[in-house]
Amino acid sequence: MSTPVRTAPPVSATAADPDAAVVALDGVGKTFANGTAALADVQLEVAPGELVSFVGPSGCGKSTVFRLIAGLADPTRGTVSVMGTSPQRARRDGSVAYVFQDPTLLPWASVRDNVALPLRLRGDGRRERAAAADRALELVGLDGHERDLPRQLSGGMRMRVSIARALVSRPRLLLMDEPFGALDEITRQALQGELLRIWRQADDMTVLFVTHNVFEAVYLSTRIAVMAPRPGRIAAALTVAEPYPREAAFRTSPQFSAAVAEVGAALHASALPAGASAPATEADRVQ
Amino acid sequence: MSSDVLASADAQARDAAPRAAEPGRSAAPRRRPTAILDAALRGVRRALPPLVVLVVVLLAWQAITRWGDVPRYLVPSPTDVASAARDNAPDLLTSLLTTTREAVTAFVVSGALGILGAIGLASSRTIERSVYPYAIVLQTIPVVATAPLIVIWFGASITSVVVIAAIMGFFPVLSSTLTGLRATDHRLTDLFALYDAGRWQTMWRLRIPAALPYVVSGLRVSSTLAVVGAIVGEYIAGIGNGEAGLGFAITQSAIRLETPYLFAAGIAASILGIAFFQLVNGLSRLLLGSWHESEMRVER
Repeated sequence: MSTPVRTAPPVSATAADPDAAVVALDGVGKTFANGTAALADVQLEVAPGELVSFVGPSGCGKSTVFRLIAGLADPTRGTVSVMGTSPQRARRDGSVAYVFQDPTLLPWASVRDNVALPLRLRGDGRRERAAAADRALELVGLDGHERDLPRQLSGGMRMRVSIARALVSRPRLLLMDEPFGALDEITRQALQGELLRIWRQADDMTVLFVTHNVFEAVYLSTRIAVMAPRPGRIAAALTVAEPYPREAAFRTSPQFSAAVAEVGAALHASALPAGASAPATEADRVQ
Repeated sequence: MSSDVLASADAQARDAAPRAAEPGRSAAPRRRPTAILDAALRGVRRALPPLVVLVVVLLAWQAITRWGDVPRYLVPSPTDVASAARDNAPDLLTSLLTTTREAVTAFVVSGALGILGAIGLASSRTIERSVYPYAIVLQTIPVVATAPLIVIWFGASITSVVVIAAIMGFFPVLSSTLTGLRATDHRLTDLFALYDAGRWQTMWRLRIPAALPYVVSGLRVSSTLAVVGAIVGEYIAGIGNGEAGLGFAITQSAIRLETPYLFAAGIAASILGIAFFQLVNGLSRLLLGSWHESEMRVER
């Protein structure tokens, strides 16, 4: 991706500082209408250019955190700020993008039209859209498939289209909610590598990544937020020190195993009442 | 991450499509004449069983009416029906054309109103909640009860017939389209919300295309109802002279006990219905063929 020209974030008292957190969650709680406490007192700051993974068992509120950051839902307590402003305002100029667990493509539209959708919705011209879409497709290695329909592609390729669609508006913040969960291991590893390459090429793009795969989290992240359920909260935030680019060898290195063990321990500790020993089933499920 | 893992995964994905397409593509030019012959044979083989049944039924029918001492005015033989159709060919053709015109107009009107009505209802929950119940109430009033009123309003004319047929065809399109517009995948709705799509953008770019399979199935029902409605409308409006449709031809020949001609008109009506249904099937293939499961030809 060529160096994107970024417009200044919407005017706000706190957004003047370029080093300000991309995402800041301050005492965030979310209670659903039916009384379920999905999140309680979540505290998190993410700096520009970070790749932060959220790991935790099902029902720990990972997706809820994402919906709050994307502005698809509002917190019942605390404040969520994205690039110094509200999530709804931050996403308005296309600087926040979202990759869902499923590719969520329009089945009747070509790959190019699917990728260009965000630009079409904000009213960009046809030529502009096609050029940007083709650039994004090249970035994910799908050039040559512009005219295909989603059903003609494999699962991994569809996910690439979904990633290209997220990248087409040159976001500063990319939210990925278990994007590789449904893929086979080979494809998953390939896409992890691609994600790291794209993230490193993009200038200061911040990625937030939900997964319940500890290995994936360790391989990708600069930081890992370990979440615990009932109510959802961030139990620990761990830094992965390994420098980038991370080669395949990293996956089999002692540092990798150590990091995985550390995250695993944090998950166990968070899933239990203080003092009890970890039940094996819980550990198996998490890993 | 090593790049060779990437490359191999990519290669697998890219290779899959061409390889699958290859056999058909390379085989076609080499043995083109046989391929066409094969296709023709396959068509004949598929059409043969129902044709055999038809011939057997017609022969049995002919035999029973000839040797079974059945009066002609009760059950005419196939040859009686054929000669009645031949003798009155101009009348039958005029009737068929009239009914076709009425049914086509009614179908287009009911389709357009049904789709537009559903979009109107789906664009606001309040409108839907306040108007839709009455649409259901209207639907439950039998057409036979409203038809005389329509004839009073519009006279014994083709207009009345079209209105009656359109009323019959309207509701299936409305309810089916509305269901489709409500059934949009919520993940896609989220996606559109995330990109701040406006209400009409979401309607036009997401909800309407996603509802097309439902629209088509509504149209399919209403296509046959339009033919039925046109014939029922002609019964009630009772237009004669040069404007007589199949419905009028059927009632008249029933009164005169011209049973062979009644059969001929009935068969013409059913052919019209089948043609209509096939037309909508073609439309469906055109709209959904490339992407929707219901129209995709899966190779086994």
